[in-house]
Amino acid sequence: MDRIPILKMGSALLVTIQVDMQDRLAMALEEDLTTRIAQTGARGVLIDISSLEIVDSFIGRMLDSIAAVSRLLDARTVVVGMRPAVAITLVELGLTLTGVATALDVERGMALLGERIAGAEGFDAGDIL
Amino acid sequence: MTRPLLALSLDSETDLVLVRQQARRIAELVGFDRQDQTRIAAATSELARAALGGGGGSVDFRIDGGETDQALAIAIRGRLRPEIAEASAAEPAGRGGPSGIAAARRLMDHYDLTAEPGGGHAILVQKRLPRNRRVGADRMREIGETVRREPGGDALELLREQNHELVLSFAELRSRQEELQRLNRELEDTNRGIVALYSELDQKAEQLREASELKSRFLSYVSHEFRTPLNSILGLTRILLDRLDGDLSAEQERQVVYIRQSADSLTELVNDLLDLAKVEAGRLELKPTVFAVADLFAALRGALKPLLTTSAVDLVLEIAPGMPRLRTDEGKVGQILRNLISNALKFTEAGGVRVEASVGPTGTVVFSVADTGIGIAPEHLDKIFEEFSQVDGPLQRRQKGTGLGLPLSRKLAQLMGGSLDVESAVGEGSLFRLTLPAAVAVGDDPIAPPKNRPPSAAAVRRRVLVVDDEPAFRYLVRQALRDVADIDILEAADGGAAVSALADVVPDLVLLDLEMPMLDGFGVLAAVRRDPRLRAVPVVVATSHPITADLKARLPGVDALLPKSALDRAAILEALGLAEAIGRRETLGLAEALGWTETSP
Repeated sequence: MDRIPILKMGSALLVTIQVDMQDRLAMALEEDLTTRIAQTGARGVLIDISSLEIVDSFIGRMLDSIAAVSRLLDARTVVVGMRPAVAITLVELGLTLTGVATALDVERGMALLGERIAGAEGFDAGDIL
Repeated sequence: MTRPLLALSLDSETDLVLVRQQARRIAELVGFDRQDQTRIAAATSELARAALGGGGGSVDFRIDGGETDQALAIAIRGRLRPEIAEASAAEPAGRGGPSGIAAARRLMDHYDLTAEPGGGHAILVQKRLPRNRRVGADRMREIGETVRREPGGDALELLREQNHELVLSFAELRSRQEELQRLNRELEDTNRGIVALYSELDQKAEQLREASELKSRFLSYVSHEFRTPLNSILGLTRILLDRLDGDLSAEQERQVVYIRQSADSLTELVNDLLDLAKVEAGRLELKPTVFAVADLFAALRGALKPLLTTSAVDLVLEIAPGMPRLRTDEGKVGQILRNLISNALKFTEAGGVRVEASVGPTGTVVFSVADTGIGIAPEHLDKIFEEFSQVDGPLQRRQKGTGLGLPLSRKLAQLMGGSLDVESAVGEGSLFRLTLPAAVAVGDDPIAPPKNRPPSAAAVRRRVLVVDDEPAFRYLVRQALRDVADIDILEAADGGAAVSALADVVPDLVLLDLEMPMLDGFGVLAAVRRDPRLRAVPVVVATSHPITADLKARLPGVDALLPKSALDRAAILEALGLAEAIGRRETLGLAEALGWTETSP
């Protein structure tokens, strides 16, 4: 079965979902991502869903779940490029993805990630000092 | 109005992706905006996932509603898991539940879940078309066709179908190929057999040829060997009959006469055999001469008279008007006719035998020998031309024959480029027809050929022009014709002299050599044929070149071509068409004998 490719950019991982995922593919992505975070010690995950036209409750919950697991592994997740129609539909489905940070596009998502990683480090450093 | 736009089966996750993608596509085609497209796709995805969770099912897309309020309806059939079915029924619209069904309800305008007999469920959701949107029947068909064409729709099924067909075709192709290979092998085997057969046939043909050759050689050898003792017998009977060794008693004389008759017929048989062998071996050569049919007939009449034993049979020989003189082998024509006539006389007891010479079509002459005899049955018509075959019958038994006459006659006729045919019916007599190429009337005007040769020509001196650079040859000709009266020999030592001599005199014959300095024989011939005065003058070419067909082809309009090496008085006279005439009528002057050109008295 196909896998969604995961790219490493510095201390962040970049996932671009370009196909309408089967449920199994989405679950595999969650597995792959958690493995890679553990391997690389990545601090952030950027998931680009700009190609997705349909996000149903399963995919929504999957994104939520990925964000939650990553957080436990000390990585921040930002979902970028969500289409307005998808966002509306997700809300109407009752999925607000409260655990997932979002950004409008990849650039802003990276910026957000950097800010958070730096902020966390700064906070940690300050905490220790 | 519930015609389905598309029906999909729902058996795997791949199908699920397909279903939601098609749902979005259909929503787009029907006219929903982007937001609603996503809503409809998401809702369909939720419901389909629920159905898939229960073990699969099917999804139908259709347009419901009347003229004014149409809606896109999606009907999902499947077996929902009991807890989901219950929960869905209990969940109020507006709250997201674990199954997603309730969430889906909020995205659509109408939702209906019914339990079907047998434990299945049918979920129907509808979304009203945007205002001012109407999908007519045509548009519906169009949408249906569009989505079915797209990959993942029925196209996938189509692909699978095509794949399957392809596999089948491959299998069929393979079996055909095997069949072909098998046939090929069979053909090869057959071919090998045929090749073997062919070589066998070749061998057989070769053996047959050898056998035939052997037969011909045997015949020729035996015939030769037979002739020597036969000649002795004939000579000795002649001595006895001539009383050279004393007188014979009447009885003895009769016996000796019988001996001689038997020896004669044996000689005839042996000669026929020898001829046949020669024809078959291709060794019989034609000796063409120029002769008149009247002379031939005169000789025939003389030779056949002894066979006319009864007055009940008449022998009539006739020449049709316009008969040209022939150039062919007179001896062989005579042989054939003798054969035909003696046959006719043999098998005719009363009536007559009528021999006729007439001009046939396209330069042929036809000799016909008709009798009023017993005739030949149709089944025997072909047989009579086979060697040693004789038709059985009372008259045939009485009349002895060799069975060689007709086959030999036909072969001789073919050798001369002609044919021998027969028409006959039992009891009505037979008609043998000998057709020969003839149009070789030397010097005769073809338009007004002479009916007869004048019995004695006027005492006109004839002139023969001998053209040769060799004095010896000119001398030879002069000597050869020395004793022939009324003839002038003109000599020309080269082509130029010949042409100037021809300017003064129109000779009755030109005897021409080919190899000469300056103007050669070909040139002289061309000059003669160009001159209208000289066109009718017969030209005989005497050459030391081998006489080939090629050479003949280069000498159009030459009346005879003879080799110098074989040149003597007889050869010259024969070439001039005079040998027979001289031989038969020793007393005639050459003036008469030289009757190539007709000079009307």
